[in-house]
This record gives sequence, structure tokens and C-alpha cells, in this order.
Amino acid sequence: MATNKPYDNRAWLGVLPVLLIVAFSAVIPLMTVVNYSVQDILDFNSRFYVGLDWYRETLQDPRFIDAFGRQVLFSFSVLAIEIPLGILVARGLPKSGVWTSILLILLAVPLLIPWNVVGTIWQIYARSDIGLLGVGLNELGLAFNYTSNPTHAWLTLIAMDVWHWTSLVALLSFAGLTSVPPAYYQAAELDGASKWQVFRYVEMPRLGGVLVIAVLLRLMDSFMIYTEPFVLTGGGPGNATTFLSQYLATMAVGQFDLGPAAAFSVIYFLFILLFCWIFYNSVMSDDNEAQHHD
Amino acid sequence: MATIMLDELGFAYPGVLEPTLLPLSLEIKDGEAFALLGASGAGKTTLLNLLSGLLVPTTGRILFDGVDVSTQSGSQRNLAQVFQFPVLYESLCVADNLAFPLRARKATNGFSASDIQARVAKIAGELSIENLLKLKPKTLSLFEKQLVAIGRALMRPNVSVVLLDEPLTAVEPRTKWQLRQSLKRLQEELGVTMIYVTHDQTEALTFADRVAVMADGRILQTASPQQVYEHPAHEFVGFFIGSPGMNFVAIKSAGSEQMYAANGVDQSAQRIGFRPEWARLENVSAACTSPAVRWQGKVLHCQILGTQAGAPVGITTLASEAGELKVRGAINAIVGDEIEVVVDRFISFIDEEYCATHHAQSSTDYLANTADE
Repeated sequence: MATNKPYDNRAWLGVLPVLLIVAFSAVIPLMTVVNYSVQDILDFNSRFYVGLDWYRETLQDPRFIDAFGRQVLFSFSVLAIEIPLGILVARGLPKSGVWTSILLILLAVPLLIPWNVVGTIWQIYARSDIGLLGVGLNELGLAFNYTSNPTHAWLTLIAMDVWHWTSLVALLSFAGLTSVPPAYYQAAELDGASKWQVFRYVEMPRLGGVLVIAVLLRLMDSFMIYTEPFVLTGGGPGNATTFLSQYLATMAVGQFDLGPAAAFSVIYFLFILLFCWIFYNSVMSDDNEAQHHD
Repeated sequence: MATIMLDELGFAYPGVLEPTLLPLSLEIKDGEAFALLGASGAGKTTLLNLLSGLLVPTTGRILFDGVDVSTQSGSQRNLAQVFQFPVLYESLCVADNLAFPLRARKATNGFSASDIQARVAKIAGELSIENLLKLKPKTLSLFEKQLVAIGRALMRPNVSVVLLDEPLTAVEPRTKWQLRQSLKRLQEELGVTMIYVTHDQTEALTFADRVAVMADGRILQTASPQQVYEHPAHEFVGFFIGSPGMNFVAIKSAGSEQMYAANGVDQSAQRIGFRPEWARLENVSAACTSPAVRWQGKVLHCQILGTQAGAPVGITTLASEAGELKVRGAINAIVGDEIEVVVDRFISFIDEEYCATHHAQSSTDYLANTADE
């Protein structure tokens, strides 16, 4: 009987485990950080409420602003390379057969390597005294040295990130491409579509969903990058490759400035959230417009 | 639009011994509505893929207006195809979807933007989808989507042939007949050569001027729907077409030789076949010596399909000395009745192939004939 459904508030207890897990894994740690960010902590027993002072200070800190600029530049550089390159690789993969499996496994290899190992690999690979890449470039007459030249350090970092993460974009795109039924390709062929038109009108609409995921993942990940540059360049030369997370780690762990570091963290977190929100909404609003024609 | 000639066209998948399509020759006339009918595995999809350029024939040639196109790609052949499910460019609105084939070939066909617009308006008008032109495909129903897909296939005025690969599969039954009628009307109005591939006999028989019935990689018969129904060239055609299909009776197993000979059946014929409506049910006559083609049987079940003049009509299934038989017409028996099947008309087959049509003599005719002698 639809009208006599049992009604029992104890059902709310069913969501309790999830609430507890989320509380301990996300909400409470985050609130702790927020709590630190509004206090000046001298030692365990002496702390003072300082309001939004740390936020003001962080946002005016030139080192923060520089690191932020570098971070944005880095994220957009790697996205601009990895997304098109990943799509290109995915399109180049055979759709079926033995080679598909072999190539997919090869593509997945960089994703399986621990991040600090990736950093170490490139740290050695690009060294100008013993590294294959570094020595090779120098042999070709290019005075390559990423430990002293900021541009070289940047190029090495970007190359490393592209090597590490293009596979992810390629695998996601490949999954998207396999969802295109063969009839779509055939229809486009019969319609006389060019290769570009096939990509633009047959493949891109199907790739949309996975590309949103790929961009979001890569945006967040690259914005939070820490381990690899830490191992590869240590933030140098000078501060040339010091990104936000590394600056934050120096502040929080190195100098034990808990208050400013907490404010920094909250700002950092909000920026990532903001970027993702802007991106997601701009992509999804296009879709919604299409639906409102009815 | 083009005349399509298949010249000893055959196909075998690499590494497979049995050819999927045995060499066949066929001519499809310019502006003809042609149907390829067969059960799955008959080779009709292979034939379709050969026509669309997806497969390259292992033997023989395909000629469009006398030009050998066997090794040309699908786009070179200038043909269009409608698929089992609607294939549309999802990011483009309906108008752009329709315009796509003309825009993609702009460089070669010399269509101006206004030509394209006029053609879109014409095709949309023919299909009565003017109100959908600004919509994106995902807001359309399956039926509307397939209409747009059909429209896109008809956009090029010079298209050599439109291939329809079971285009009604995805459409719900209620709108099927509507789409079928639109298709038929457009085919007639635009005079486009269409090849309609289906396993559904109703679709094939109502759509096509000529039907090719396929089985096991061969075309068993190519003829008008009526011919295919009344004069099946092969036992399979008789069995496959019609609902229910033909009844078949092995000559050796039931009835005397004299009974068949009296109706002029060739001595080498092994079987006879008759449509359920070519037979009648009669009460068992006392004297069972009449040599007209008739067997005694017991009613297994009756399927009532309607009434005619107040009396139930439908299909009666009997277990007879000639095997299980189905008879269509007035239902005048109940399950378990002993009854007689009287066949007025039947076809004899030699080695499964059509031999002759026979109009059975009624017993009175027979008696009259013997009296004359």
C-alpha cells in the first residue's frame, strides 16, 4: 500500500557511517586548518586570535604571488600540451587487435611509477654530466643545464610532466573514442566528410565528457604538483621552479609557521576549487543551452 | 541516381573457407525500390557492405551506370546510407545535419549556400520536419531522429543509391508504418534508387518494387512481391515469406502416386507446397477414395485472428498423415476433431526448386473426367 509506507526516523542512522568517514577524512582536518589560519601559534600553550591577518599577509606576499604565477603558467602549459597530444595519441591507437592491448599497457607504465621515482628518473636522465638526455643535448652543441638555467629547468619539468601524464589523457580519450559506433565513421565517410570534419563532428562530441574529466584531473593535479619538482630541481635554480605546494611545505614544515601556512592552504584550496568550478560551468553551460531549445 | 549492376559478385572473409556470398549477378534499375530480404546470416549485410564500399569484393564487379566502382571508396561512389539506429552529428542542429553532405562536398559539387538552404527546406518539407530544423538531435525522439537521418541520405540530388539497413529496427512499432510510408512516398517522388535491407517480410513486401530473397549467401529469387509470394522459386522462399509460411508435404510420405499424377505433378518432384489459404477444411467424407489432394487429420489448435460475417476466421493447425499442416480460413472445427484438409492449389518442387503450380481437381471434376473416358 503506497499510503501506508512505514515511516521511521531511524533510517537516518544508515547514513551515519558515511558521515563519520567524511567527517574524519575531510571536514575535521579542513576545519582544523581553518582554525589554525585565524590564530598566531607561538607554541602549544600560547596562541592568539588574529582574524584574517594571515590571509591579508599571504595575498600580499610577493613570494606567494610569484609562486602563484609560476603555478598558473605551469598548469596551463602542461594542459596545453597534454590534452591535444593525448587526443592525438588516442586517435593513433589501433581500435582493436593485439597491438591495442600491448600499446595500452605501454601507455599505462608511466602512470604506475611512484611520483618521486619519476622525479628521480628525470633528475638523472637530464643531468648534463651523466644523464642520457643532458649529455646528448650537450653533444649536439646545446649548452643544456637545468640546474643553472631557469628556462632549461622549466623545459625539463614540463617534459617530465608531459611524459608522466599524457598517457592518462590518451587512455581517457581512447575510452571515449571506442564509444563511437563504427556506423558514425561510415556515415561521415559516405557524406564526404574530411578527416578534420570527422574529428570535429563525429569524435569531439563523444570525447566531450571524458575530456572534461581529463582537464579537471590534470588541472587539479598539476596545480598541486609537489614531489616531482621537489626531487628534480628542488624549486631552483633560485626560486625559478618553486610552485605553491613547495613554498607551502617550506613554510609549514620547514619554518613551522602554522598560522600563515594554514591561511595559505585555505587560499590554495579555494583557488583550485574556483578554477575547477569556472571550467566545469563554462563547459556544461554550453550543453544546457542546447537542451533549452525545446 | 544510377543503375546498379552486380556482375558475378562474390565475397569470402579472409581465412574462411566457405564464402559468405556466392557469386551473384543482379541488376537494379535506376529509380527502383529494391529490397534484400533474408534471415540473419543470409549474407545481406555482406552484400550491403560490398555496395557501400566497406568491403572489397573477392570476385566479380559492381557497376554503377556501367562504371566499375568495385575498388572505389564509399564517398567516391556518391551513395548514402541509413543505418539501423539513427546516426546524426550530435553537436549539429537538424538543419546543419541535413546540410552536412552538401557542405562536405561543396568544393566538388558547386553548391552555393542558398542552394543548400533551399535543398534543406525542400527535404524538410517532404518529411514534415520543418519545425525540428533548429533543434539538436538529443532533444528528438528516436522516430524524429531516424526521419532526419533519412532526410540527410536524400539531400544530394545526384546520389547514386540510398542504402537502407533495417532502418525501422530502432523505431517503436506504432510509428513504424508511418516511417515506412514516408520512405515509400519519398522514393516515388524523388525517384531515388533505394536498396532496403531487412529480415522483416512485411517491410520488404510493402516497400519494394522487387524483392531479392537471400539465404546462405545466395539470392534464391528476385521478383515482385506478388510473384515472390505466389510463385516462390525455392522452397525456402515459400517457407520464409508468409505468416505462417507454406506447408510442405513430401510426395512419397503421404498420398498415393495416383493422387499426384491425376493433378499433373511431375514424376521427379519430391515435395509439394501450399499456402495456408490455398486449402480448406471439410468434414471427413464417408468415401475416402477421392484422388484430389486431401488428407485426414486431427485438429491440434486454432488461432482465431478475427471474424468474417460473424464467423471466426484464423489459422487451424492439424496433425495429419502428411505431417503438421496449417490452414487459414473459417474455423469450423474444435481441437480434437477429425477433419479433412482439401488443397485447391499447390506448387510442386524438384530439388527444392519451383516446378509448377497445380490447381487441384475437385472430386466431382475427377469423377466427371473419368466418366468421359
